[in-house]
Amino acid sequence: MLQSGESAPSFSLRALHTTERRAVGWPAASATLLVFFETDCPTCQLTFPYLNRLAERLNAQAVNLFAISQDNESVTAAFAEQMQLRMPVLLDEDLSVSRQYDPLAVPSLFLLDRNGQVLRTQTAFDKTELNAIATELCAQAECEPFVLAEAFDGVPAVKPGCTSRHLEPPDDGSANVTTNLHAQPSARASRIELADDTDAIEYCLSAGFDALPVVPPTVERVERMLRATSHSPDEVVALIPPNYGQATVEKIAASAVMAGCEPAMMRVLLPLVRAACDERFNLHGVQATTHFAAPLIIVNGPVRHELGFASHGNVFSNVARANSTLGRAFQLLLTNVGGARPGEIDMSTLGNPGKFSYCIAEREEANPWEPLHIEQGFARAQSAVTLFAAEPLRAVSEHKARRARTVLKTICRTLATVWSYRMCAGFEAVVVLCPEHVDTIQRDGFSKNDVREFLFDNTGIPVRAYEIDEDGEGVQLAAHYERITIDGEPCYRKFRAPEQIKLVVAGGTAGKFSAVLGSWTTGPRGSQMVTYPLD
Amino acid sequence: MATILINPRDEAQRAPRQAAPRLHSLSGKTVGLLDISKPGGNFFLDHLARLLTERYGVAAIVREIKPTFTKPAPDAVIERLLHARCDAVIEALAD
Repeated sequence: MLQSGESAPSFSLRALHTTERRAVGWPAASATLLVFFETDCPTCQLTFPYLNRLAERLNAQAVNLFAISQDNESVTAAFAEQMQLRMPVLLDEDLSVSRQYDPLAVPSLFLLDRNGQVLRTQTAFDKTELNAIATELCAQAECEPFVLAEAFDGVPAVKPGCTSRHLEPPDDGSANVTTNLHAQPSARASRIELADDTDAIEYCLSAGFDALPVVPPTVERVERMLRATSHSPDEVVALIPPNYGQATVEKIAASAVMAGCEPAMMRVLLPLVRAACDERFNLHGVQATTHFAAPLIIVNGPVRHELGFASHGNVFSNVARANSTLGRAFQLLLTNVGGARPGEIDMSTLGNPGKFSYCIAEREEANPWEPLHIEQGFARAQSAVTLFAAEPLRAVSEHKARRARTVLKTICRTLATVWSYRMCAGFEAVVVLCPEHVDTIQRDGFSKNDVREFLFDNTGIPVRAYEIDEDGEGVQLAAHYERITIDGEPCYRKFRAPEQIKLVVAGGTAGKFSAVLGSWTTGPRGSQMVTYPLD
Repeated sequence: MATILINPRDEAQRAPRQAAPRLHSLSGKTVGLLDISKPGGNFFLDHLARLLTERYGVAAIVREIKPTFTKPAPDAVIERLLHARCDAVIEALAD
């Protein structure tokens, strides 16, 4: 691969939609940015909205920006239209220029000075590098620098690319990325005028906005909601899988109205929608599975008090307007904009009561350790929302234990039932510890890490459970499980790593009831927990 | 006064998809079998491949596997490996 400091070869390639060859050579009047890409590369699809934005911010005098396709004209044309590319596209179908520049992967960016010397290269997707390129170009063009790629905009900070075509591409198994965050603003939502004798609530029910009555999203109510945010109503916040419907600020406001949110909740909803559409969460899979999973929202930080989120008794139920309405507004977006409607794309076999609303706050004041958002990399004073693809609650009652290890042993026995008893390793769990259990555990000097390690080391399925039936779920995978000994009994380890067990403190101060929530399939091919900060 | 609501649902216009033309016969054709990688898919598809070849005279079977059933198939699997090589494709989900 061509390195910084080397001289880039000049070349000519046919431009998309023309018969002319376009010559690219030096000296040139401005810097040049070459972007090698493949149309079916998810990372390339992730990158171009940022390059579009770069092209819009910098005029042609500031940079010669060329996108170089390694694919044929017809798929490149479709890609250019789909991504609304704002730069000239050149066709390198025979890969001759790719061989000269020799990128290891796509997307590969080569920033060249006016004399064709390589200033910077970037392979794959990396927000820091993209911002550095933008800064460099602004410096060259003597214009105001700007942040090209914001931190929490629904796209991960880095993502590996695909092998460049000239090096033979193996399949990388990634999802099709359809998040086009920087799409043109959407059209405004249409208006629905009701006849005088039509009851608005009945209309919303019959139109299928929800199976429960909603607050009718009248123009006046939606306007009030929109006044609580500085974002424009037509801004597309994210595309919600599985239909990849456009979640505009206006549609989000309409769902917030229907769910009964206070306008201040827009501050939480916008980052929440972005977080849900972050590819690591894999909402597409979560919404289309026949499994029980539903996105659980966990709220941390000062916003709990600012907006009235409850973290005490009844935390999983009808305890506070903030919890109930945020969870519901989110679900309304997933069905009405994302298209995950029960009986249609949402084919869950039994569903999950959390699909009405599934939102808790952590009781940080009763947590002697670090709350969840600190573990996820944020400061205590930073408000944040976390999403976890959760099964329904599994209840753990333990009123007799006087020791930390006894409480935790009881929890282990419930953890062993996550997914199904004899399945191991492919999922995570959130353990919601109630304040009384936390007191007992902490009295014995356990740190949060001690708790997690203890649960990890003591949750296993006895090997003899696999010797009874030969073909039950999990049995066929037993050869891959790790064998350990728990209290003298040979077992398979339930979880792959201690980090698969997440700990949250919540609930009332009376009652020694904790809970275990299993997950959907996890890891890079399943759904991973995501945490986004709130402004 | 009439009540006016903001439409809360997705309103994106999507071009209708045309179903692929039907084959009159499977005889001599190449059929792709896409396993979405759920457990058991291979047993089902093995049997299907046998039936297609033995009973319907299918000339060749192309087998592909999605990297994971939890996400849409990458374009590479759909376009380059299946559509480019097959007269018909059967996608199989099994558990």
